[in-house]
Amino acid sequence: MSRNPQRLCAIDELPEGESKGFDLDGDGQDELFVVHREGVLYAYRNSCPHQPGAPMAWRRHAYLNKESSLIVCFAHGAQFDIESGLCIDGPCQGASLTAVPLSQDRDGNVYLTE
Amino acid sequence: MKIIGPDALLFGVDDLEACTQYLTDYGLTPVGDGRFEAMDGTAIVIAAKDDTSLPADMGNGCQLRKTLYGVADEATLNAIAEELGKDREVSRLVDGSIESVDDMGFTLGFQLTIRRDYEAPAEVVHSPGSNAPKRELNELGVDPSVKITPRSLSHLVYFVPDGDKAEAFYRDRLGFRVTDRLVGAGPFMQPGGTQDHHTLFMIQAPEFMRGLEHFTFHFGGPTEVMLAGSRMVEKGYQSFWGPGRHQMGSNWFWYFNSPFGARMEMDADMDLHDEQWVAREIPISAEISQAFLFQYREKWIPGPGGGK
Ligand code: FES
Ligand SMILES: [Fe+2]
Repeated sequence: MSRNPQRLCAIDELPEGESKGFDLDGDGQDELFVVHREGVLYAYRNSCPHQPGAPMAWRRHAYLNKESSLIVCFAHGAQFDIESGLCIDGPCQGASLTAVPLSQDRDGNVYLTE
Repeated sequence: MKIIGPDALLFGVDDLEACTQYLTDYGLTPVGDGRFEAMDGTAIVIAAKDDTSLPADMGNGCQLRKTLYGVADEATLNAIAEELGKDREVSRLVDGSIESVDDMGFTLGFQLTIRRDYEAPAEVVHSPGSNAPKRELNELGVDPSVKITPRSLSHLVYFVPDGDKAEAFYRDRLGFRVTDRLVGAGPFMQPGGTQDHHTLFMIQAPEFMRGLEHFTFHFGGPTEVMLAGSRMVEKGYQSFWGPGRHQMGSNWFWYFNSPFGARMEMDADMDLHDEQWVAREIPISAEISQAFLFQYREKWIPGPGGGK
C-alpha cells in the first residue's frame, strides 16, 4: 500500500493572488509556501538560494511584493518569478527556488506529491 | 571630522502600509510625514517608491535611498562639503544639509545632528561581588508589559562591490576608523564623533548585490531586545537570526526580515572604543559571528512532572 500523500489544505484556503506558508513539523518555521496565481498553485521550499536555509517572508504568509506579481525574499530583497521560481533581481540572480510538487483532488484538497 | 552616526535612513518602499505597521510594531514613534523616531529623534523615513522627491533607486531590489549622517558642528559640515567637492557634486539642500554620494553609489546626506538629549532608564544587572550600582530595593528587574522604545539609530550594513575602495572612501575622505575587520567580509567602521564600535559595516559582495544588508537601533539592554523581539515573533514577524550576542562589538542582536527587503535588527550594549583600541583582524566564520545564539520558543511551563 502506498503512503497517503500529505494534505496541505483546502484550495479555498489559498485565495487568488496570495501566498501561504506551511509549518508542517510545527517548529515555528514554514518549510514551504504556496502561491495561487491565475488559477495555478506554485509551491516552493522556504529557503532562499542566497543563503540556503534562510526564511523568506517578512511576516507569517507574506512572501509576495505589494502587487503580488513577484516572490520576494525579505531578508535582502531578492525577487523571484512566481511561475519559474527564478531569481530575476537581487543577491541570488540566476538561482532558483526549489519547487515542491503539489496535487489536488476533486474535492478541492491540496496535497504534497511524494 | 565629527560625524556622529546616521541620523536617519530614507527609504522608497514598495508597500507603505506594511512598512508603517512594521516600524510601529518595532517600537518607533510615528511623528508624521513618513517619519518614525527613536527616543533621541533619529529616525527611519519612508515614502512611496515612485515619489519623485527621493534620490535615485540603486536597483537590485534595494529600497534604501539615502543615509543621512548627523554631524556635531558647522565646521564638520563645511569640511565635508569641501572634501567631497574636490571630485564630486555636493549640493546644499534648503534645510541646510548637504547631499552627495559615496564611491559605491550610496546617496549620503550630512546635517547638524538632530539628536536630542533624552533620559531613559539603564538596564541594571545585579552582579554579585561588584560595586556597580544596583536597582533600588524592591524595584523589579522585569516588567513583561513595559512599553519599549528604541533609543537611537545604531548602525547599517552595506553590500559593496569593491570593499577596499569603499573602506578608503570612509577612512580617507570622511575620517572613519576601522575598529575591527572580519577578513573575507569587511571592516567595522566608527566615525570621528562617536565611541560606538561601529555605525557602519561593509561586506564585499558581487555588483548585483550592492545595497543595504541590514540596519538597527540601539535598545536599552538585553532584556529589551529579548522582550521586544519576542513581541515581534508573537505578532507574526519572521525572525532571521537571533537572539544572540555578537563577538565583534559585543552587541546583543536579533534580526528580522522586513518589508524593506533588508533585515532590521534590534541591538543593545555595544562596545565603546577610542583611538587606543587596536583593530582585530579575524577571518569570518560562524564561530566568530556570535558568542552564543538562541532561538525563540513559544512560552512553556515545565509543570510539576511525574506524568499523568
Ligand atoms: S537570504 Fe534571501 S536575499 Fe539574502
Ligand atoms: Fe548589526
